[in-house]
Formats: sequence, C-alpha cells, structure tokens
Amino acid sequence: MNGWVGSILKIDLTAGKITTEPTEPYVEDYIGGRGLGVRLIYDHYVPGTNAFDPSNPLIFNTGPLTGSAVPGSGRVDVTALSPMSNLRAKSNFGGYWGPELKYAGYDHIVIQGKSEKPCYLWIKDGQVEIRDAEKLWGMDTFETQKAIQNELGDPEIKVVCIGPAGERLVQFACLITETGDAAGRTGMGAVMGGKNLKAIAVRGSGGVNVARPEELLEVSIKVNREIRENPAYLELANWGVSRSIPMMYEHSFFPVGYFEDVCWEDIIKNYQGIEFMEKYQLKSLGCFNCPGRCMSFFSHADIGKGVTSCEPFSGFTGAVWNLDMDVFWEATLLCNRMGIDGTETSACIGLLMELYHDNIITPGDTDDIIMDRGSKEAILTTIRKIAGREGYGDLLARGQMAAAEKFGPEAVEKVDQIKGLAPHAYEYRAYKGTGLIAAVGHRGDPLPLRSSLLEFDWNMSAEWFQQVAREKYGSEDAAIPTSYKGKALPAFISEHMERVADNLGICKWIYTLFVYEDAEMPTRLFNLVTGKDWEIDKLLKVSERVRNLERMFDVRQGLRRADDTLPKKFFEQALSKGKFKGEVMDKEKFEQMKDEYYDLRGWDKVSGIPTREKLEELGLGDVADEVLGL
Amino acid sequence: MAFKTLIIDAEKCSGCRACETYCSLKHEQVCNPAKGRVHVVKWEQEGIFVPINCMRCDAPACELTCPKQATFRNYATGAMEVDPYRCIGCLSCVFACPFGATFVDPKNGRVLKCDLCDGDPTCVKVCPTGAITCEEVSRDTYLKLIEKAERIPQLVKQALGGRVKK
Repeated sequence: MNGWVGSILKIDLTAGKITTEPTEPYVEDYIGGRGLGVRLIYDHYVPGTNAFDPSNPLIFNTGPLTGSAVPGSGRVDVTALSPMSNLRAKSNFGGYWGPELKYAGYDHIVIQGKSEKPCYLWIKDGQVEIRDAEKLWGMDTFETQKAIQNELGDPEIKVVCIGPAGERLVQFACLITETGDAAGRTGMGAVMGGKNLKAIAVRGSGGVNVARPEELLEVSIKVNREIRENPAYLELANWGVSRSIPMMYEHSFFPVGYFEDVCWEDIIKNYQGIEFMEKYQLKSLGCFNCPGRCMSFFSHADIGKGVTSCEPFSGFTGAVWNLDMDVFWEATLLCNRMGIDGTETSACIGLLMELYHDNIITPGDTDDIIMDRGSKEAILTTIRKIAGREGYGDLLARGQMAAAEKFGPEAVEKVDQIKGLAPHAYEYRAYKGTGLIAAVGHRGDPLPLRSSLLEFDWNMSAEWFQQVAREKYGSEDAAIPTSYKGKALPAFISEHMERVADNLGICKWIYTLFVYEDAEMPTRLFNLVTGKDWEIDKLLKVSERVRNLERMFDVRQGLRRADDTLPKKFFEQALSKGKFKGEVMDKEKFEQMKDEYYDLRGWDKVSGIPTREKLEELGLGDVADEVLGL
Repeated sequence: MAFKTLIIDAEKCSGCRACETYCSLKHEQVCNPAKGRVHVVKWEQEGIFVPINCMRCDAPACELTCPKQATFRNYATGAMEVDPYRCIGCLSCVFACPFGATFVDPKNGRVLKCDLCDGDPTCVKVCPTGAITCEEVSRDTYLKLIEKAERIPQLVKQALGGRVKK
C-alpha cells in the first residue's frame, strides 16, 4: 500500500500472543489514525467491563500520512476505555514514535490482556518481543527511555512509556515520549499501567511508500515554506506561547484559579513568561518533520531540561495563581517525569486552593500543607504526592470527584468537570460557541477547534472576523463570542475538519487551525501519498462517520443529552470584571444551541442519540442494530 | 559551475529529520529516513542534534580506499558520488569515512552518498532552522565550514556531560 504500511498489530499480554490483521479493509470507511482507532475500540471493547479490566483494549493509531515527507506528520492517536469518564478515551501525541512504528511495519497496535509481571514491548522491523521490565519499574519517563535504549543498544530507538504515576494507576496518568510529548488526557497511562506494561519501544528501517513521489516532493516543499513563513508559526518558533498568554487573560479566554474568575490584573501586568523564555529557552523544537516548532526546550541549571508547550503555560500559572516561572517549570517537568497529565493535575491543585480559600478544607485535610493560592509548596508537594499516591495525593489520584466526596458535600458542589475531566483550560462564560463545543464534545475538552479560535480572533479585529464568519459559516454571529446565534454550524464543520487531520495522522494545529484553515491541503496531500483520488467531501464524510461512531460508543456506555453540559458555575456565577464583565452562560439559550447542533447532526433532540436513519446513511447499520436494538 | 558545499550549523538543528525524510523521497521515491544521505544524531534529552553529511574532503578517504574506483568526484558539483555499476558493496568507504557520513541502504547494502542534488540540495530547502545551508566554495565558505564543524565536538561533549545553558 502507499501511505499505510498495511498491518495492524494485536497483542494479548495475558497469553503472550501476537497476531496481525491487514489495515486495508478498514481504510475506505475510516481512513486511519483516530477514525480507524474508533472502529477498533468499538469492536474490541467488551461492554460492561471497566477500564482496569484486562480486556480493555489500549490502541495506538497512526494515519496514512504519519511518517511521510509531509510537514507535521508525527502524530499518533491513542484510545481505550477511560478510567476517568468510563467513556471512550482519546489522546494524541507527537514526537518521533509514530513514524518509527510505521517504519517498523505497523499502522496500529491493539493491546489487550494483562502481563503477570512488568513488561515492555520491543518492536523492530516486523519482529515483536514482550520483554521483562522489572528493572524499569519505578523509573521516571526520562530514565525509562534511556534505560531501554541502553539495554537494546541503540540510541535511535523511540520509546513511549509511563512513569511511576501510571504504574500506581493514578487515574489521570499519561504517556510520555521524548522529554514532554504526551498523550496527556483521559488517563492512558493508568490503562497501560493496569496492563503491567511499562513501555513500547520501536525501531524500523522500512519506509512509507508514496504513490506520486515527484509531485509530493514539489507540493510538500511548498507547504514546508508556507508554514515557516506563517506569522503564527514565526511567533511560536521564536517565543512559544509565552507572548500570547497575557493576551489570553486580557480577553477572558483563560480562567484564573479554579474557573473562579478572569482578568487577573497581576498576571496581565506581571507575567514573566517572556523573561523566562529569554533566559532559559535553548531552542524551539517540533515533532517529526515539522518546520513549525511550537515547543520550547528549556535548559534550567537548577531544575532541569525538557520541552513544553501550550497548556502548562496557563495550567501552572493562572490556574494555580502562580507568577513564579521557576515553579511553573518545576511543576511541568515533574508532571512529565512522573507521567501525569499537567492539565488535570493543575486543576486538582486549583480545586484544593479554592476549597482552602473558602474554608471548606483545613490543612488537616492536606497533610498539613497549607493550600494557599499560588503557594510553591502547595503546588509542588501536591504533584509529588499524587504521583506517589501518598496522603491526600492518594485521594486526588482517584480523581477530583472522589477526593471531593471525601471532603464533603460542599466540596462536591465545587468540582468543575465535564464528562469526568477537568475542562480544558479555557473560559466558557463569554465564549458561547466554545462552550457548546466543550459540552457536546467527545471528552469534554476537544479544544481548540477552528470555530473556537474564531471567537477568540474576534477580539483582534471584530469586523474582519465577522466577515470571515459570514463567508465560512453563513453568519456573522458565529464570530461574536457573546452571541448564541449561528454557533451550531461552525461547531459541526470544525469537528469534521479536526477529524480529517486526526485520521491522516498529521498535526491539527497546522492543518485546519493555524496555517491551513480548512481540509483542502490535507486532502491534496492524502491523495498524493496514497494515490487515491478522493474529493474533500469524501474525507469529511469519513469524519462524520467517525464522529457518529464515537458518539455511539459513548451512548452504549450510557451517555445521554444531559451529559452534554458545563459545570454549574458557568451558568450561575457571572464574570466580575474584564471586557466581558457580567457574562454568564444562559442555560436556556445554551440548550437552544444544543438543539440546533443535534438537528444538524441528525441526532434525537430528547436523548442526544444519533438516529437510526443517520447511522444507516453513514453505513453504521450494524452499530444501530447493536445499540438501538433491532 | 562553481563547486558547492553544505555547511552544517549543528547548534541550530531542531532534530526534526526533515532533511533525512525529504532526501529519501527525492532520491529513493519513498519516505524513509534510513535511506537518507544525511543523518541526524540526536540527544533529545539534552536538546542537542547533529546532522551528519559528506564533507567533500580534499583527499577523500572514501575515494582513496575504494578498491574498484567506484567513488569519484563529480566535477560539475564537487560532490563525491558512487558509481553503482562499479561498486561491489565491500563498504570500505563507509568504514573509512572519518565523519561517518557515508551511509548504507539497510535493505540492500547499497552505498548512499550525498550528491548535492546536482547543486540544488533538497535538505537545504526544507531545513526550518537554517542548520543546513549550501554555499559556493570559497576561502570564506571553508572558514565558516570549519568554524561550525569545530563546534560539533564541543556539542557532543556537552551532550554526553549534560551541562546546561548558562
């Protein structure tokens, strides 16, 4: 095949059995990457079992463009049943592991069962070995990667692994490759730890075949140049996200504290990210074959080295009332080394700070650690205790809600989660369309999507972006953050575009968000690599099929319309200051946006379940039969 | 046409492997870094990456050691190339290269050597950081090449010793 390498690897850790299945029969309907992974988990997961049941399939998905000479082609999608939500998990990581897996001969890996003893997988050019990991158990993610490269005698081996948090089944443990590329959300590290699987090491000398190599070379060089010259990427390559952070707070797009409010003046005036960047950024790095280097490699003598991007910049600053950038970096690096999701971790700390601030908990509840807003000790000790499952960290390791239940009903009231996860670090009270996307989204935080960024962009030039909104989504209101009108269609379109990038195994920041704002370029590159001749609509149709199958997986788990919601606070507590002072999410209008969205989707408005008609139109009749009944 | 050479400024390299991948697409019509004629040695935990490519030596060890005179200089570009019909696959050139810049196709043992894409190198076009540039040979070019090359042992030492940026 061109693009795909043609084989799905299946591993049963209980029996030590290794088999393969061809990729080809799936590609017409699901393409690859996230989409094909959704079909695999729908078929392999046993309804009624929980996330730590050995049968829970942990699935790694590369796409037809992963590892190809297409910029931003280092992405891998990961899925399983999430221990946090009991719904379908979804996380995506970059770096260099995905391309190497394809060079070793596999498009996907489905891992089921549980090893009796700690083990790791060693995949090299079509050979698969389950190896002993007794010596690796307890190592952090950086040490693990080095130890495996040393043991196997090849520094070019790529490893994705869990840290001590995953071994201890911390609910929001993540997977790490390199020094900070993470499958961060939905607890994939916990699922992997539950299988006694420490790491997956890959090395390959094969390649990705290309249908039209001369043409691809020409187009791809052009894409490479366009990304490098794109203003957003010039900014990211030079400054990471540091310069945009105060702006995000200024426009009330990032929450302060535990979604307490917005527009924290201290952070707008005194954010030290730029100074930190100037002092400690050794260079900016990207994933495989990516000219848009959106990650910063920090080299700090006292704290350590590694990369980060995006969420920790707000998670370990504003969300925990912290202005000390050394603390931000120590917290980020600690999370990456221990293998826990920074977003959920910072939310946990934010929750404790709020509970302490409101006198709901005392230091007695947190092993005598005073949970003052912004306290360095509170931030760093909590991370260590979660990773080590010590004292109150053990409570948090079971999830925010489990911890709050222990603290009492007042604490439970405080918890802000969507579908079992901390809402992605954005504010929804002023940004209605963004709120809709978060609520109906597959995991509570599918941001950023194109139409959400459009709402943010509106702050920069209202008239211009209203015109963009009219051209793209047929309504100027789509761009106006505080308007409830015209928000369903942009959400619908953005969800489909996002899945095009995810299905192909390429970066959705570059394709469909920042550089190429629609699915046209991905479609062109897909055809050049695979030799197919698909129209853009065919790729978008696959996205719709994938979106519906994702929904049906969750419907089978019991998800209904009522679960598509936001934390109470967003409906009840208005913003007290800033440019969007007084904004709150109006419950009735919010529900109207949802109605419009379900209508567009062809889902039943009462239950939020896709209709049989819609499912049959998408070729998902078998799914309708199983979940809706015959 | 004047001779050209690649200048590698390893300090700028982000380790993205675009040079390797596009090189294989251009020369082998496949996306496979293992078939690249340039290779990036990576210390990802140190943020140090060193692209390795043919230095087009004055007295090339690869040429001197070849028992079949298969390695030769292309006088149109200055690149050292391998005549596949003369090559017997003994790999003498690979072992003789002091820079480790002569590569082998892992599937069939064929020697892979940078031919400078006939004077218009693909890797230079796609390198996002300017870590690989291509310049006409001159005294200044060589001085620059030497200056950048002399940084490499220091970087490697730093990578192995784990020192941090001041």
